[in-house]
Amino acid sequence: MKAVLATVISLALTTVVIGNAYYQKKQFYPSIVYLTNSNPSMAVMYLQAFILVLLVGKLLRKIFFGQLRPAEFEHLIERSWYAITETCLAFTVFRDDFNPKFIALFTLLLFLKAFHWLAEDRVDYMERSPVIGWIFHVRILTLLMLLAQADTYFIHHAYQFTASKGPSVQLVFGFEYSILIIMIVNILIKYILHAIDSRWEAPWESKAAVLLYTELAINFLKVLLYIGFVAVMVRIYTLPLFAFRPMYETMRSFKKAYNDVVLSRRAIRNMNTLYPDATPVELAAADNECIICREEMHSGAKKLPCNHIFHAACLRLWFQRQQTCPTCRLNVLRAPAPEPAAAPQPAAGVGGAPAAAPAPPAAHPAAHPAPPTGPPQGTTVPPPFPNMPPPPPIMAWGVPPPPPPRPASLAHLTVAELQRLEGTERRNIEARLQLLREIQAMLDASVLLMQQYSSVVNNLPINNASIGTQTDVSEKREGRQVKTEPDVVPTTSTHKQPSPAPSTSNATNEDEVYPDSSTSESNLNSQRDKTDANAEELRRRRLQKFTIEK
Amino acid sequence: MAGSALRRLMAEYKQLTLNPPEGILAGPINEENFFEWEALITGPEGTCFEGGIFPAKLIFPPDYPLSPPKMQFICEMFHPNIYADGRVCISILHAPGDDPMGYESSAERWSPVQSVEKILLSVVSMLAEPNDESGANVDAAKMWREDREQFNKIAERLVRRTLGLPPP
Ligand SMILES: [Zn+2]
Ligand SMILES: [Zn+2]
Repeated sequence: MKAVLATVISLALTTVVIGNAYYQKKQFYPSIVYLTNSNPSMAVMYLQAFILVLLVGKLLRKIFFGQLRPAEFEHLIERSWYAITETCLAFTVFRDDFNPKFIALFTLLLFLKAFHWLAEDRVDYMERSPVIGWIFHVRILTLLMLLAQADTYFIHHAYQFTASKGPSVQLVFGFEYSILIIMIVNILIKYILHAIDSRWEAPWESKAAVLLYTELAINFLKVLLYIGFVAVMVRIYTLPLFAFRPMYETMRSFKKAYNDVVLSRRAIRNMNTLYPDATPVELAAADNECIICREEMHSGAKKLPCNHIFHAACLRLWFQRQQTCPTCRLNVLRAPAPEPAAAPQPAAGVGGAPAAAPAPPAAHPAAHPAPPTGPPQGTTVPPPFPNMPPPPPIMAWGVPPPPPPRPASLAHLTVAELQRLEGTERRNIEARLQLLREIQAMLDASVLLMQQYSSVVNNLPINNASIGTQTDVSEKREGRQVKTEPDVVPTTSTHKQPSPAPSTSNATNEDEVYPDSSTSESNLNSQRDKTDANAEELRRRRLQKFTIEK
Repeated sequence: MAGSALRRLMAEYKQLTLNPPEGILAGPINEENFFEWEALITGPEGTCFEGGIFPAKLIFPPDYPLSPPKMQFICEMFHPNIYADGRVCISILHAPGDDPMGYESSAERWSPVQSVEKILLSVVSMLAEPNDESGANVDAAKMWREDREQFNKIAERLVRRTLGLPPP
């Protein structure tokens, strides 16, 4: 309604102005001269031209896009706003060339840009719209063709103008239209990919990868163009401030595309070569549902180092964004590759090592197994950490500093770089050695403790129960009160009053071992209580958080 | 790719219709376009937004759930974590890496594990407990910290407005 009103008013004003000029001068040429010399008349004419441009824009928009979606409209407004600000900045550089033709050219540029943006949004929308009719294809292809022609024409014009008359504002136009034609290429590639994709029934998995590479190449071209443009502008005029925001954005997206390509390639290669396929049992344990697509997993599922299972295809797509586990955010590039069943314990040892480091090795019962319940097996050393809980996946895995990405060849590095490389390598190795030493100490300590246990348990079959944990003792006390277990009472009493003279050779052994192991027992118990309390607290909080979230 | 996003959105819609979480209603505005949803969020009980019914829209990217949707309230809101134009700024709606506020840990960020339901529940808890470090609406954050009474008054006015009642 407002638009119609504005159109009518401007039309009326223009009629009045032209009518007035013609009425005063009575002839064609004098009227024109009169109009161009009168500022108010020219203002009205500019306004009329502006409204005409808008009307033409609306008409073309109707032809090529039909009704705009609200998101598209918002996007258009936002980008126009930036473009207008930047155009105003550009005016300050080229104040000398300021004339109506100049303004007209800039308006035309903005006008064409707007159609490029709309075409881009519309092609992006292809992915989301369920049905695409033939009219969509006709519209988009025609529009892209027309825009490409306009772009090439203006690039050509700018080139010829600059070649014949030296640098001018045409440099900016040439550059802007080059960026636009790159955009057209990008849109066209996307359009072709989406069009192929929509023809296929099955999801096309490598499409995302192709899009990623396209993005990388297009952004690379744009970055080159921007750098060239800024260099030329600095040499001839001044710093082109108006190009900085788009340049910065292009560089950022180029960097992102580059990282995405490199890191995702690495993560996908890891997935294909290192991570095992999920077994049917594991699939069943995960309810057969892939948390990424919420669909059933039958085959082609992969297990990450953190034991989370997803479709390999879904993971591949996700790794193109981020190289983490979607569920627990384990960084798969930093996580050690899972060795299939060959050496799970050393891995657990590395996970536990940092916790062990501050405590003196001998007094470190956390890694110690619970008192053996079955018959002791002589001097056989049980595996070092049988009841070690698997380390929480986010923590601890990152502890050994990840090796820096190694360049393919060392030949092209400078001496300083090599030295730096050597330094980091050396630090890494030292850190690893330190960790290994700690693990060694822990292993020694636990072996020692195990030997003490087994010897005590071997030599004192009667006192077996008395070396129980404190909870055992309290249970036994209860047992004595209730007087249900006659067996236990005597042993408890022997525990309370250690036999005065057990003259066997075992006695010395017992005396030596007993206090030590009992202290370590109580130590273990208190520690376990503490960790239990911590775990309980943690679980409670998590539950609370979960119920809040839920 | 488009197909999988569509299928997942349909699955979530079905899930939300079968087991709607309390105080939340959400679904596509138009069944022909599953990538634009409307949601109605009830203000959490015991907070200044209690009783209000706040409409919002969710726009999903074509690569959902790899990228998060955008969420925007379409009624007037006054809240530390909601921009003046209604856009919601909470960590679950940002992928790790893009960091408008710079303080959130990656643990609460977007990942395909999240869902529409989780987003809306996070928004409900955000209404209950604003994060006044986030600068989405600086005035609201300041008022929330320093003049809670005035904040509650504004919230009450907004609640009444969403219910179509005249201001008190
Ligand atoms: Zn999947
Ligand atoms: Zn995981």
